[in-house]
Amino acid sequence: MRGKRPGPENSEAEIQTNEGIAVNLLAQVLLNGVLLGGLYAIMALGLALVWGVLNIVNLAHGAFIMLGGYLAWYLFTGLGIDPFLGLPITAVAMFVLGYLVQRLLLNLIVRAPMFNTLLITFGIEVVITYVAQLAFSADFRTINPSYAGNNVSLGPVIIPVVRLMAFAAAIVLTFGMWVFLLKTRLGRAIRATAQNLVAARLYGIEPRHLYATTFGIGIGLAGMAGSLYGAVSQINPYIGATLTAKCFAISIIGGLDNPLGVIVGGIVLGVIESLALLYVGATFGDVASFGVLVAVLIVRPSGLLGRTA
Amino acid sequence: MLRIGASLAGCLLAASLFVPDTSSAADITLGASVQLTGPFANTGRYYKDAYEFAVDQINEKGGVKVGNQQSKLALKIYDNQSDVNLSVRQYTQLASQDKVNFLLGPFASNFAIADSAVSEKYRIPMVQGGGASDQIFSRKFKYIFGTLAPATDYFQSTVEMMTKLKPEPKNVALLYADDAFDVSVAEGTRPLLKKAGLTIALDERYTSNATDFNSLLARIRSANIDAVLVAGHETEILNFIRQAQSLSVSPKMYSFTVGVPSADFRKALGEDADFAFGMTAWLPSASLKDKWFGDAEQFAKAYKAKYGYEPDYHAASAAADVEAFAQAIEDAGSTDPQKVRDALTKLNFDSLYGTIAFAEDGQIRLPQTVIQIQGDEVVPIYGKQGFITQPKYPMPAWNARQTTGAGK
Amino acid sequence: MTKSKLSIGATAVVVLGMAAVPWIGSDVVVQFGINTLLLAVLAQSWNIIGGYCGYASFGHSTFYGLGSYGVAIAMAQWNLPFAVGMCLGAVLAVIFAVLLGLPILRLKGHYFAIATLALALAMTAIVSNIAIAGQNIGLVLPPLNNDPLFYELSLALLVAATLTIFWLTKSRFGFGLIAIRENEEAAAVMGVNTTLYKVLAFALSGLFAALAGGIHAYWITFLDPDSAFDIGLNVKMIIMAVFGGPGSILGPVLGAFVLSAISEVLSSEITTVAGLFFGLVVVAAVVLMPRGLADLFRHFRVQGWRYFLNNIKSYSL
Repeated sequence: MRGKRPGPENSEAEIQTNEGIAVNLLAQVLLNGVLLGGLYAIMALGLALVWGVLNIVNLAHGAFIMLGGYLAWYLFTGLGIDPFLGLPITAVAMFVLGYLVQRLLLNLIVRAPMFNTLLITFGIEVVITYVAQLAFSADFRTINPSYAGNNVSLGPVIIPVVRLMAFAAAIVLTFGMWVFLLKTRLGRAIRATAQNLVAARLYGIEPRHLYATTFGIGIGLAGMAGSLYGAVSQINPYIGATLTAKCFAISIIGGLDNPLGVIVGGIVLGVIESLALLYVGATFGDVASFGVLVAVLIVRPSGLLGRTA
Repeated sequence: MLRIGASLAGCLLAASLFVPDTSSAADITLGASVQLTGPFANTGRYYKDAYEFAVDQINEKGGVKVGNQQSKLALKIYDNQSDVNLSVRQYTQLASQDKVNFLLGPFASNFAIADSAVSEKYRIPMVQGGGASDQIFSRKFKYIFGTLAPATDYFQSTVEMMTKLKPEPKNVALLYADDAFDVSVAEGTRPLLKKAGLTIALDERYTSNATDFNSLLARIRSANIDAVLVAGHETEILNFIRQAQSLSVSPKMYSFTVGVPSADFRKALGEDADFAFGMTAWLPSASLKDKWFGDAEQFAKAYKAKYGYEPDYHAASAAADVEAFAQAIEDAGSTDPQKVRDALTKLNFDSLYGTIAFAEDGQIRLPQTVIQIQGDEVVPIYGKQGFITQPKYPMPAWNARQTTGAGK
Repeated sequence: MTKSKLSIGATAVVVLGMAAVPWIGSDVVVQFGINTLLLAVLAQSWNIIGGYCGYASFGHSTFYGLGSYGVAIAMAQWNLPFAVGMCLGAVLAVIFAVLLGLPILRLKGHYFAIATLALALAMTAIVSNIAIAGQNIGLVLPPLNNDPLFYELSLALLVAATLTIFWLTKSRFGFGLIAIRENEEAAAVMGVNTTLYKVLAFALSGLFAALAGGIHAYWITFLDPDSAFDIGLNVKMIIMAVFGGPGSILGPVLGAFVLSAISEVLSSEITTVAGLFFGLVVVAAVVLMPRGLADLFRHFRVQGWRYFLNNIKSYSL
């Protein structure tokens, strides 16, 4: 049976042809890329929301993902709460944090030139990273629920359970965001505020509160991403900067106009990276990601799902 | 505006000319710039802790005898925030402004390469225990010494052991990160594997700090590789093992250059760390006798009592650096940098770290003992005299492992 | 007339004074000086494209890195002298600026910023795969024990950069850049060749960054992709330029000196929380004085402490 897992006494390799091996390998790597794309999509969703809707480019996004990861870790090791089941708790806690950051700090510079937000969020990133290092020490943490290493096999291909669940969560959250922005009153109010502050008051919601709520949602999403990231990889105070860079790539490749863009961006990036690692070389992952980002910016800056400018 | 600007700049420069000298005259000061914050901090802090521990212990036992006097050791440590450029400036400050007597090293080979240029420039000996790459010692500098064994020899005892395992591994994957240390390890391991008659089925350099090993693992599974050797950093190896589990990749054995001896690595992985091989040039054994600590076992116990975690070879190497200076100063009978430097080249004494003696290029030569995580413990498996304990080999498939199923 | 002669005289005195530092200051001051001067050059180079032209580049470290590698490859791999290495680095940077500037300068606002950042990230990844650049291990240069020389070189480069900006403010090219910054479409309509001017500004700006990178590489004698294309440098140079006053001649230099001094003092005194304080300073500066020190000095006399409050009021939601 093809579904048999390879083990020390495996003799399947002798039976499969070389082409069979190559196709199976490709299938596995493609699947890895798609699942990775789901994780990427959750990571970038918060950034894309805040950027596309509020025009706030949050360089500290990755640092918030890191904080969400630590929170989930404490929930798991301290209270035994599963990282997936604990997502709502992480989301709410991080929402509150994001709301406060926007309301008390970022709202002060909303009407300043764009790159002031880049600078201030950079400063925030530095502060968060240092506070995390002081609070949590430089040790790395993993969230290791008992099913963390499980997988299911589908033919010759092996699907890790946690990544599959993260992928499902990504789809749910992204579609949820899309529905929220397009169909609900609060969602429409947020989009209106981004375009016209005066018109937004017609919705009867205070703009400062609206901005803070939106940013809070963005950070809540980042927190959830951190929880999943900790279950799949490891968390330390310094992962923020690399994660932010990745999220930028994902957001832009997918396009900021459409909330569904992150799924497309995430999967495209995940697949391209995995294929590059397989066929070009194991040191070419970042070359592929950032190369594609530069290419998209030059050729089609509004992204794959964006309206052409 | 121009005048204000000019005077401000002038004031700043002038102010920095007159920074007070705060070092105390009678002590012998050792200076270091270590990664206390930033991505290298989780290992960098071992160095600070161990330097302090060794200095305190030596002072408690009376300090260092210079001629007829007993002098105490003092430490001056800066945080280089894991930034190589800042660490170079800090070593320059230590040498030229703080006027420390001698220098202790940072963690990591690339830092040691850059910082050794400073010790050479000011002709102050630096003993570092954080960098093992050949590049540090290939510049023929006279003032740099290292207590980590050469990177090229790291897998030597492992490869030797592999030829004696039954069933012998047929093919090997060699994976290594693209930094100075790990590339050196790979360069040294390739000829060892060839000489042992083992086929290298996969030889891949990967990006440092990579988080995604799925493609490499898929290739390992698809080529049915028996043994995997990984030269990399703790975070990468952690990801590698977790992803191996989630993709059901279990070769007959895997061995890693770092992580296995460190307590927090094992804690982070919990049961998944089982069966992993590694190597260490140091084990806290009572047979390593030491002038100041009694022996390595007592050192480890006292260290854990003070700092709350078990010391690994990084900490032992750092303590050895301090001891090397203490011994060299006593041998030279003076604190003159030249004389101490010469005394360092002639050192040959037993310590908690083993025999401290530097080869001609300034690097220590120590054999690596193969270790394996078996259950909760790190067990020495294979050393100079052959097998010490039986290894658990071959590694069972992930779903066939005897696990308690409990959380970590 | 007398006033500008006084200014020139004062400037000359300051420059000469700074040139004398290696002989009256300690080694540490000289090292601090070299570092700060190079940062000031970077801030000035950013000033050309970001301050005067209005295109806030977030990836100038690309050019810095190219300059560093130009020198490193020439000296470590081909055994050529330093001057040749500097030329190589400069040529690489200018070619890069022109080739990539053409497509990237079509982008506006934060897309341009992100594109330049992406460029820096892509370069780090690409260079770590290039054998002649030493891949991710980097290169080791022949050591030269002559800090005063590096100091004077850096000072000379800073003077050159500042004089260039001074010339900009008086030249047609400079007016064109400012026009582009204020209203690009109107500038095009008035006959300014916006593409040519933007690319030239980008290339000029990249040139200075590359030269600074070259000096730095030889001074430290060691480089690898992460330190050569250091992303954090980008923010540092922008903060220094903005803090000092973008679009002014001396603003970035002032910003570089003040912020560098703060950072260095923190790193040697409080060490563990040095980075934290730097982040806090950045946040505070962006909120309280987003138009820089120049603006602060100009208005503080009139408004006093209310200056900060007014800033917040005018920019907040």
